[in-house]
Amino acid sequence: MTTDELEKLLAEQPVSRLHRLARGRIHQHFRLGKRRLIEALLRHSSENRAGLESDLHALTQESPQPPPPPRRKTTPESAAPRPRQGAKPPTNQVEAEPAEPAVDLISFLEGIGVPEPKPFVPDAWQEDALTSLTTTDVIVSVPTGSGKTYVAIEATRRAIEAERTVIYTSPLKALSNTKFTEFSRLFGSDRVGILTGDRQDNPQAPLLIMTTEILRNLLYDAAGGEIDVRLDTLGLVIMDESQYIADPERGVVWEETIIFCPTQAKLLLLSASIGNPQDIADWLTSIRPTPCHLIQHHRRSVPLRAGYLHPNGKLTPLFRSVGIPHGGGTPLHPEAKRLFAQYEEETLRPNR
Amino acid sequence: MPPSIHPVDLIGALRHKHLTPAIVFLTSRRACDDAMQAFERSHTTLPPARQDAIASVFEQLVQQYPSIAEHPLMPVVQRVGVAAHHAGHLPSWKIAIEELMRQGCLDAVFATTTLAAGVDFPARTVVVTQSSVRKSRDFTDLTVGEIQQLAGRAGRRGKDLVGFAVITPSPYIDLSVLTKGLTGQPEPIDSQFVISYPMVLNLLKAHPLDQIQAILARSFAQFQLNRRAETLESKLDQLHVQMEPYGPRVCTDWITQWQIFDHARKQKAHRVQVKRREPPELAARLHFLTPGRVVGLPKGRGIVLRQYRSKGQRSPTITVLRPGGAVTESPADAVTQVFDRTFDVAEAPVYPWVTPASLEDLTRQASDLPVRMPALPILVQKEDEEGEIVQTLTDEFPCPTCPSRSACQKDHAVALRIRQDVHRHTKAIQALRTGLWHRFQNRAEVLQQFGYLAPTCHLTSEGEWARLIRIDHSLLITELIRADAFSGIEPQILAGIMATLSHDDDRPGAFPRISPGLASLLRQVRQLAESLAPHEDPPLLRADVAALVERWIGDPTLTWIGLCRTTTMAEGDIYRLLARTLEYLSQIHQLRNTHPGLADTAGKAIKNLRRGVLEELP
Repeated sequence: MTTDELEKLLAEQPVSRLHRLARGRIHQHFRLGKRRLIEALLRHSSENRAGLESDLHALTQESPQPPPPPRRKTTPESAAPRPRQGAKPPTNQVEAEPAEPAVDLISFLEGIGVPEPKPFVPDAWQEDALTSLTTTDVIVSVPTGSGKTYVAIEATRRAIEAERTVIYTSPLKALSNTKFTEFSRLFGSDRVGILTGDRQDNPQAPLLIMTTEILRNLLYDAAGGEIDVRLDTLGLVIMDESQYIADPERGVVWEETIIFCPTQAKLLLLSASIGNPQDIADWLTSIRPTPCHLIQHHRRSVPLRAGYLHPNGKLTPLFRSVGIPHGGGTPLHPEAKRLFAQYEEETLRPNR
Repeated sequence: MPPSIHPVDLIGALRHKHLTPAIVFLTSRRACDDAMQAFERSHTTLPPARQDAIASVFEQLVQQYPSIAEHPLMPVVQRVGVAAHHAGHLPSWKIAIEELMRQGCLDAVFATTTLAAGVDFPARTVVVTQSSVRKSRDFTDLTVGEIQQLAGRAGRRGKDLVGFAVITPSPYIDLSVLTKGLTGQPEPIDSQFVISYPMVLNLLKAHPLDQIQAILARSFAQFQLNRRAETLESKLDQLHVQMEPYGPRVCTDWITQWQIFDHARKQKAHRVQVKRREPPELAARLHFLTPGRVVGLPKGRGIVLRQYRSKGQRSPTITVLRPGGAVTESPADAVTQVFDRTFDVAEAPVYPWVTPASLEDLTRQASDLPVRMPALPILVQKEDEEGEIVQTLTDEFPCPTCPSRSACQKDHAVALRIRQDVHRHTKAIQALRTGLWHRFQNRAEVLQQFGYLAPTCHLTSEGEWARLIRIDHSLLITELIRADAFSGIEPQILAGIMATLSHDDDRPGAFPRISPGLASLLRQVRQLAESLAPHEDPPLLRADVAALVERWIGDPTLTWIGLCRTTTMAEGDIYRLLARTLEYLSQIHQLRNTHPGLADTAGKAIKNLRRGVLEELP
């Protein structure tokens, strides 16, 4: 609440309520008239604004009886009679409700369950990525959990069949280990190797998993004259979680790796949703022999809904619609809004 | 009402609505552990069938990772069906929890937001309790990208028809940050390109100097800088168009010309106003004529009692105490010398301007003054450019009589502003285009200074091996090697040093003591790090964490549990400390050809380090 708003709100209160508010706050408040009382309260509010606001809130809620809020006199459009909305805080009353009704909890929770198992059919974008990868570099920027791994696996399979070496890099050792286990299961453990800072398991395998730093070091060594056969037959470099290029400490390693990546190898950059994948694609286009193909979408394979759980265990939808709307200024579900306002009031009140 | 929902109630509510399995993101490791403790105390018990399922998965995992066999949390996880997962745990334990989650054995995992990045770990529901994360010291709001990463874990492909992101409030939550994060577009990312010493060495190893600029131009950093430069260039073009009406007039550079003229005019006006100012010799002296100061006057010396302006002329005057005790007035410009001597004075508002006691004291002092006293040299500032201004205005300066004088006067302000903008933009564009290259050159100069690069920018023999150290604080490490700091030291001491260099976390804790040998070497490291500070940010150099690594390597019989008992550091942190030390050691180990002794010591340290828990993962 800004000072102006607070002043306005105070001005709307009857004097008796202001005196109750001033009790214990302002010395000899009973000597002051309404205008000076408001001034004194505002001056005092610099000390404990939250306390003042929540007390004011409590007072307005406790006895909504004394004269009708003068707000109605001041704003002509609210002069029309309006149904009382129970114990809702006054903020809810002033806002114009959108036409469509908010979703209820039942339809919000509808449809939870396990889908029927059906044969896996790759999405169009996944096919698109794989076909493009035969000729150019590809950047995939899609939401988490929409099947980037499938593209990685399938591209790897095709490259190995074409007798090319594949290098798969991830930012974290933990992730490298997970992928190592996963790929060993898929391609057989003799065809998958892992390189970490201090250990090399099966370093001549056609599929090598490593952290990006290791690949960068390999590339530097190769550029410095140390011959590495694996780089000659390198057909595909997959860089997982490539949004790490914006990491303050390690981002530079991604850039170095991409700059020095052999031109005969194709790059496959897998990234979570980022704001400017086109920039990265343009950059790759400008430094690599073939124009980079960008695949980007915001559609999730499993739809997402947002809910609000109040500390008393009450669950409501967070937004007015079932799914998550896009764009700013999205109205919250009235119930969630009311509960959260209540929560804030509870937690902000002093001497809780 | 509690400030946030109790974890047991939270999971209960989610179970009731069929929203499990869930990942609950909490603010800190502590909060995750507290949630687990709450479950441990509660009466939650899974049906026996599910407990058996968890137990069987655990059994399989124990074969692969023996370190989790006696994990104290295992029975609890089995009983309550929830687990905590954060960086304080061992990687093997985290893998176990991830596997349990993947197989659908758990109802919930309490995790910190670090989980969001990089672990493949989906659930039906994601619970968010915070809108900010702790980054280094203070809390920062979650970015849209981060919130979408968190929420993105909800809804497992092939296992769920819908996923849920549930927000539950805790103190300091900002709902608008979260709703904006859920509905908004993720932020654009920016390059974080930095030029490090090993990068310079490695680039110069592979490419001649004249190719480097072209290579740097291929970076995403330069790509983005070029973009910014392009926008500036289009702005610059607009400015040039705006500048067109203000081209050459009677004189080519009329803007500068007018500026000089205008400045001179204003200066002159200013000078006229303060004409009654004192001459500079006096003005410089006035600062020293404070009460208590000993000054020389045409007739003898005296102590200044006060300085004031006379009522009629308003010229500076002083009240002086003469050696005989007389109090006299004297114009300030009569002062011949200002001595380097002052006395303490208790000032008073009325004649004789000091308290009687002080006056008595000063009178005594005044008569006891030594014959010779050092005089203060008074620096007199020259009168500013008066001559020049006069000359500008009196000589045949073109402006006053110029036919375009009125036009110049009218346009000058706008034209000057545009011209300044043009200069600013041109400079900015130049900085954007060549900034990276300059940074590279700076780094290369430092390397030349330290002898890693020849003046021709070829690698020296020192540079040849130094380029293999591709970790943080590389300059410090290579300088330590060159200073023979590591010659003939024990493997555990070397590892201890590498541990302090690699550890960049300032979480406090209790640790065992370090050995005197390590302590003295650390002092040397710290000194060198300080002397290198202008060229490389010094590392944190925490001595305490080195003790853990020193013990682990120095005592092969020490068990993991034994090591953990000596400190309050979390298991996961100890693991990370050792793993990073291992990484640093293996970089040293690469120097086999040039520093066989050192590489051998590093090799021994690596061998001793990699045992027990540290051998479980590749």
